[in-house]
Amino acid sequence: MLLKAEGLRVSLPAEGGPHEVLSGASLTLDTGEVVDVGGPSGAGKTTLLRAIARLLPGVEGDLALDGRDARDVAPHEWRAAVALLPQAPAMLPGSVADNLRAPWALRVRAGAEPPSDQALAEALGRVGLDAVALGRDACRLSLGQRARVAMVRVLLSGPRVLLLDEPDANLDDDSAAQVEAMTLAFADAGGGVVRVRHHRRGQGATRRYRLAGGALTPEVAP
Amino acid sequence: MSGGPVVIGWWQLALAAGFTVVTGGLSVALGLGVARQLAVATARTFAQLLALGLVLGWVFALDDAWIVLGILVLMTAAAALIIRRRAPEAPKGTMRASFVAMLAVGMFITFTVTGLVVGVEPWYLPRYVIPIAGMVLGNAMNGIALALERTFADLDARSDEILTLCALGATPWEAARGSVRSAMRAGMIPGINTLSAAGIVFIPGMMAGQLLAGADPLVAAPYQIVVMVMVATADVCGSALAVMLAYRGRFTSDGVFLEKGLRTDAR
Repeated sequence: MLLKAEGLRVSLPAEGGPHEVLSGASLTLDTGEVVDVGGPSGAGKTTLLRAIARLLPGVEGDLALDGRDARDVAPHEWRAAVALLPQAPAMLPGSVADNLRAPWALRVRAGAEPPSDQALAEALGRVGLDAVALGRDACRLSLGQRARVAMVRVLLSGPRVLLLDEPDANLDDDSAAQVEAMTLAFADAGGGVVRVRHHRRGQGATRRYRLAGGALTPEVAP
Repeated sequence: MSGGPVVIGWWQLALAAGFTVVTGGLSVALGLGVARQLAVATARTFAQLLALGLVLGWVFALDDAWIVLGILVLMTAAAALIIRRRAPEAPKGTMRASFVAMLAVGMFITFTVTGLVVGVEPWYLPRYVIPIAGMVLGNAMNGIALALERTFADLDARSDEILTLCALGATPWEAARGSVRSAMRAGMIPGINTLSAAGIVFIPGMMAGQLLAGADPLVAAPYQIVVMVMVATADVCGSALAVMLAYRGRFTSDGVFLEKGLRTDAR
C-alpha cells in the first residue's frame, strides 16, 4: 500500500471554541490509483488533504507512506513526497521558469539536478501552455494558466503521492482534460492521487470516497 | 562664558513651562480639546526627567558594576515590553526574542564603544555606560518593533505563497525568508537616511547636547559619529536578530504555518 491514513482527527479553531472537522477519517491509496473524495461543501475535504500533507497543527491519527510511519519522517520530507496542490496555488515572485524550478531551491532536494529549459517547455506543452514563454512574469498569468503551471511544478518535483484540491476549478474543458491526462499519467507511472473535486466528479477515478460527518465512507465503484 | 554648562534653575524651568501654557491656551482657544492631555504630558516630562536625574546621580555616586548591569537589564526589559505592546499581532515568544536580541546586541555594542572606542576606566563607568546603552537600546527598540511588525504582516499577506512553498517541502526558514528579508531591508532604510542627513539636515541630539554643555565642536563631532554608527548598527543587528528569533513562532514545531484561521487566539 502506498499511503495509509487512519483515524485522522482534526479540530480547527472557531468562534466559541474548537470545531471538530475530521473525527476519525481513514483512507487507503495504492500505487497507480486515483481516488476522488466528494462530499457536501464545508465537509472538510480541504482539511483532509492538508491533514494528509501534514500541513495542519494538532492532527491526531496515523499516517504511513510505503509502510513507513509518518512520525519517522521529517515533516518537510513528508511534504515533498506527499505533495499538496492547494486550491489557490500561489505563483512565487519571478518568471515561469523560476516558479517551475522553485522546488529545487529547497534543501529537501539539495544535490538534485533541476530540469532543463527544454524539459520545462515540454511539460508546459503537455497542459496546453505552449504559448507561455519560460521567461514570462508568473504574476501576469491568468488564473487558469497559474493553476496549470502550479500543477506542472508539483508534478516535476517528483512526489510519490499527489493531493489535488479542486485541480480543475478554474479550467475550461480542454485544459481540465489535459490536467486529467497528466494526473492519470502520474498514477500510471507509479504514483497515487487523492483528489477533491466538485465539478466533473468521478471521471477517471479508480475509487471514490464520500466525506460527511467528519468520516470517510467508500462509495460504490463508478 | 566658556567651558562648563549653564545651570538651569527652578525659575528658568518655570519659564520654559510657560511655553506649555501658550500651547494650552491655543488648544482652549481653538477648541482642540488636548489641553488636559498636554498638561499631564508636560507634568510627566518634568517628573520623569527629574527622577531620571536623581536616579542617575545616585547611580553615579554608588559606582557599582552590579547596579549598572542591573539597570541595563531593566532598561532592556522595559524596551521589550514596549515592543510587545507595539506589535500586538506578533506570536507568543516575540517578547522573549526581542529581549534576547536587545540584550545581546545592546550589551555588545555598548561595551565595545565604551571599552574600545571611548576607553572608559573602570569598564562599567555609569556616566558613559548608561547614556550610551540608552541610545543603543532606544534605537534597537524602534528598529525591532518596526521589523517585527512588518515581518508578521508580510507573512500573513503571503500565506498562500507560504502554504504553496511548505507543500513543496520548504522548511519554515525557506518559506519565511522572503518576508524576513524584506522586513530587514525596510528596517535599514531609516538608519541609512539618518546617516546621510546627519549634520546637514539636523544636528544630532548628542552633539547638540554636548555643544550646549560647552564642548568643543571638534570634540563633539567624533563622538556623534561614533554614536550614529553605533545606533545604526544596533538598529540593524537588533532587528535582524529579533526577527530571526521570532519568525519561527508563527510556525508549529512541525513546520506548519499558522495562518489566521489556524490560530487559537488573536495572536
